[in-house]
Amino acid sequence: MSDFTSTTDTRFDSRLFRIVPHLILFALILVIWEAAVRLGFITSIIIPRPTAIMGAIAELYFVKGTIYHHFFITLTEAVVGFLIGASVAVSLAVCSALSDPFKRYVSPYAIVLNVTPGIALTPIIIAWFGYGMGSKIALAAVLCFFPIFVNTLTGLLQRDEDREELFRSVGASNAQIFRKLRVPAALPLLFAGMKIGLTTALIGAVVAEFSQATEGVGVLMSRFSFQLDMASSLATLLSMTLIGLILFYSMEFLDDRIVFWRRETRRAAASRAKARAWNARMGQ
Amino acid sequence: MAAQDTMTEGLSARSGGLSLRQRRTLLHALIFFTLIGLWEAGARLGLLDPLFYPRPTSILNSFYLIYIKNGNVWFNLYATMSLVIAGWIGGSILGVGLGALVGFNAVVRRFLKPYVIVLEATPRIAVAPLLIAALGFGASSKIAIIVLVCFFAPFINTLSGVVNVNEDKLELFRSLRATKMQVLRKLVLPDAIPVIMAGERLALTAALSGALVAEFIQRDQGMGALILVYTRNLNMASSFACIFTLTILGFLIFKGMEWVDHHIAYWKNEAGMKRIGDRRRRQFGAQVGE
Repeated sequence: MSDFTSTTDTRFDSRLFRIVPHLILFALILVIWEAAVRLGFITSIIIPRPTAIMGAIAELYFVKGTIYHHFFITLTEAVVGFLIGASVAVSLAVCSALSDPFKRYVSPYAIVLNVTPGIALTPIIIAWFGYGMGSKIALAAVLCFFPIFVNTLTGLLQRDEDREELFRSVGASNAQIFRKLRVPAALPLLFAGMKIGLTTALIGAVVAEFSQATEGVGVLMSRFSFQLDMASSLATLLSMTLIGLILFYSMEFLDDRIVFWRRETRRAAASRAKARAWNARMGQ
Repeated sequence: MAAQDTMTEGLSARSGGLSLRQRRTLLHALIFFTLIGLWEAGARLGLLDPLFYPRPTSILNSFYLIYIKNGNVWFNLYATMSLVIAGWIGGSILGVGLGALVGFNAVVRRFLKPYVIVLEATPRIAVAPLLIAALGFGASSKIAIIVLVCFFAPFINTLSGVVNVNEDKLELFRSLRATKMQVLRKLVLPDAIPVIMAGERLALTAALSGALVAEFIQRDQGMGALILVYTRNLNMASSFACIFTLTILGFLIFKGMEWVDHHIAYWKNEAGMKRIGDRRRRQFGAQVGE
């Protein structure tokens, strides 16, 4: 036990030690930035001071608390849009993987959807679904469809002939091969697609909010920008980053839990690398 | 190719004169025209509101209007595409340069990593209103938006292309005492260039999206403004014609980048290798002949 605690202690120490130069660099950047604006090298209308941005963050989050409402509106739009887009994409990909004719006659339309810049549909989608949350959800769903579709399909179509033969030789049915071999093999790629899809869904929600909306982070952002309140605008941008990070890391967490066997191989690879480094050091 | 031809010939003998490919093309066309026909019929029978869901024939008519009769699409197409190209070139130079700088320098890489993660999670297109406020209306802010939107894919791909060098190959190069320049030219670049090209392809698509968003906000000229104005006037048929124009444009961009990729990264495809091999063989033959 003492052995364990000591190793975690050194690891914690080294991690703490490693983070210090990063913090110093970050602080240095902020100080230079602040000085440059205060001394008039940068116009504060174009790039505001870091302290002004911090003040805007404090006001948005703590003093007025205006951000929370908009934050959750945008988060909801992106997540609901993602869920709709992802379920359509995954079901179409599964149908395409199971049936060759289906893939042949559906994929041209998916490709057409892909080469069309989905953002171009923004005005039309707003005309169709109205000024409320519906249009933002729809645009998010349209934008996140293709990366998920193509990743799932690629994952499901990669065949490991040897394993399939093994499955056949022990008498597995086609359904079993699909469920126990092809789906697990496709999951890592599916999650990669989901991560891209979440980011694009957020972009869809925000762009639709720019075009026409009454609430959401995108509205807040364009409102602040056009008031030339750059500090608040940048603070809102950072909130979008926060939404992006929340979405990305929750998908990463799911990836880690659901595709747990890759976590094992990842850990094994990491421990092998550590062993190699250790051996190299001992050898010296 | 030849084997496939003989196979389809064998099939065509059985299926009454039509090859497999012809039958598939026919079925594709049949499905396509059935969908279009259903759409048209639905609109004509009043199941689809023509105000929001225009008939295919009226979209075709709009194509005629915006391309030939009024011809107003050309100017806007030119405006958008010149912005896209300018922004894409700027973003590519920035992305590849920064990616190479970061990729070759481990210290810079370590210190830049947290910022890259933050930048990756930000919906980068969201800076559009901010940049417009900072740089004013007009081409400069549009190009800045496009540069910012499209620099990221080449940056990440250059970085990963430069960093992910095959360790075994690198050891082989070292054991043969290759210089740094040789390692770069003969090991790093041949593996990195296809990855960088893939990033460029993504960047061009992103550039088009960035230009559209910039035009949606500025509403002065370009395809984005055109689509917005047509939709606001509920002239949906023309709006759809513009979107299908962008589809064609996207397809051309996709095919064009594929072609460029094919020729720049020639060692990744057989035809390119054969071309080089033939040329070397000819040169060798000429040398031996002397």
